[in-house]
Amino acid sequence: MFGDDINDQIAVLVDHLRKRGAPGPNLVEVASVTEVLIATMQAYFRSIDTSIYREFRELSDYIAKARGEIASLRPSDLQRDRLPRAGKELEAIVRSTEEATNKIMAAAEAVMAADPAADDFRTLVSDRCMEIFEACSFQDITGQRISKVVETLTYIEERVGRLKDALGSELQDGPPDEDRRKGDEVLLNGPALEGEGIAQDEVDKLMGDGEAPAGPAKSRPAPAPAPTPGDKVSQADIDALFE
Amino acid sequence: MAVDLQMPILIVDDYKTMLRIIRNLLKQLGFDNVDEATDGEQALTRLKAKPYGLIISDWNMEPMTGYELLKQVRADDGLKGTPFIMITAESKTENVIAAKQAGVNNYIVKPFNAETLKTKMRAVLGDF
Repeated sequence: MFGDDINDQIAVLVDHLRKRGAPGPNLVEVASVTEVLIATMQAYFRSIDTSIYREFRELSDYIAKARGEIASLRPSDLQRDRLPRAGKELEAIVRSTEEATNKIMAAAEAVMAADPAADDFRTLVSDRCMEIFEACSFQDITGQRISKVVETLTYIEERVGRLKDALGSELQDGPPDEDRRKGDEVLLNGPALEGEGIAQDEVDKLMGDGEAPAGPAKSRPAPAPAPTPGDKVSQADIDALFE
Repeated sequence: MAVDLQMPILIVDDYKTMLRIIRNLLKQLGFDNVDEATDGEQALTRLKAKPYGLIISDWNMEPMTGYELLKQVRADDGLKGTPFIMITAESKTENVIAAKQAGVNNYIVKPFNAETLKTKMRAVLGDF
C-alpha cells in the first residue's frame, strides 16, 4: 500500500540518522526527510480532495435534480393562482348550496303555510315547485366547481409524487403529525365518510333506546370510566356503561 | 302525562339552514314555541333567561361546543333536569359514549329524517 511505502521510507531515514551518531543531520539529510514528508502529505491531501470532490459533486447533482422537480411543481403558480382559486371554488360551493337550500325551504314553507281551500292554491304550489326546480340547478355548477378543485389536488399529488421519486429511496417519511388537540377537542372529528363512524341503529343500542329515560335526565347512569379517544370499545364495556 | 306542545324548545346549531330544518320539522310535529342559538354560550344565556322543556343541540360549534353545553347544563342545579338531545355528524362510538356519560338523553346522527327526530323526542319526552 502507498501509505506503508512512505512509512517504510521514513523509518529507514530515521534509523540512518540514529545510527550515524552525529550531533545533527546535515542539509542533504534534512532535505531528504522533508521530501518524504511532503510526498506523504501530498498523497494524503490528494486522497481527501478526491473523495470530498466526489461527495460535493453528488450533492450538487442531487440539489440540481431536486431544484428541477421543485420548479416543475411551480410553487409560485400554486401559491398565487391554483390554491387560492380552489379555495374560492369551495367557498362558492358552500354559498351556492346554502342559497339553494334556503330557496327550496322557502318554497316548501310557502306551500305548507298556504290554504288548500284558497282559489290560487294550485297556482301557488305550481310556482313554488318551479322555484324548487330552479334552485336545484345549483347541482350542475357545483359539480363543475368540485371538478376544478379535484383537478388542483391531482396536479399537486402528481408533482409531489415526482419530487419524492427524484429525491430517491433515501427519503424517509417523517414522524406523523402530533395530534395537538386538547381535552374535549379530541372528540371533534366531523362528518364520517362511508364505512367510518356508526349508524343510527348502533347509536340507539349504545343509548339503550327503549330504556331511555322518559323525561329529564333523572335516571341517568352513574358515570363510567372515561374512554380514551381512539380506543376500541368492546360490547362488554358498552354494556357496563348501561347497567 | 301528555306532552305540552307549547313548551319552549331551544335548538342550537351554528348552521342557520339546519336551525331552519329543525324548526320546520318541529312545527310539523306540532311544536311551535321554538327559540334558536348558534353556539353553546348563546344557548346558556337563553337557558338562564327562561325555562325550556327540551334542548336540541349540535355538537361541533364555536366557541362553545354542544358537548360543553351539555356538561354545563348538567352541572347547573337550575338546568340539569332539562332533556337534551344531541343531533350531530360526530358518529364515533367514543362520541356517543362521552355524550351518554355526560347525561345526554338521546343522540341523533346527521343526516337524519323527521321520523327519527319524532321517535327520539318520544323516547325522551313521552308520547305526543
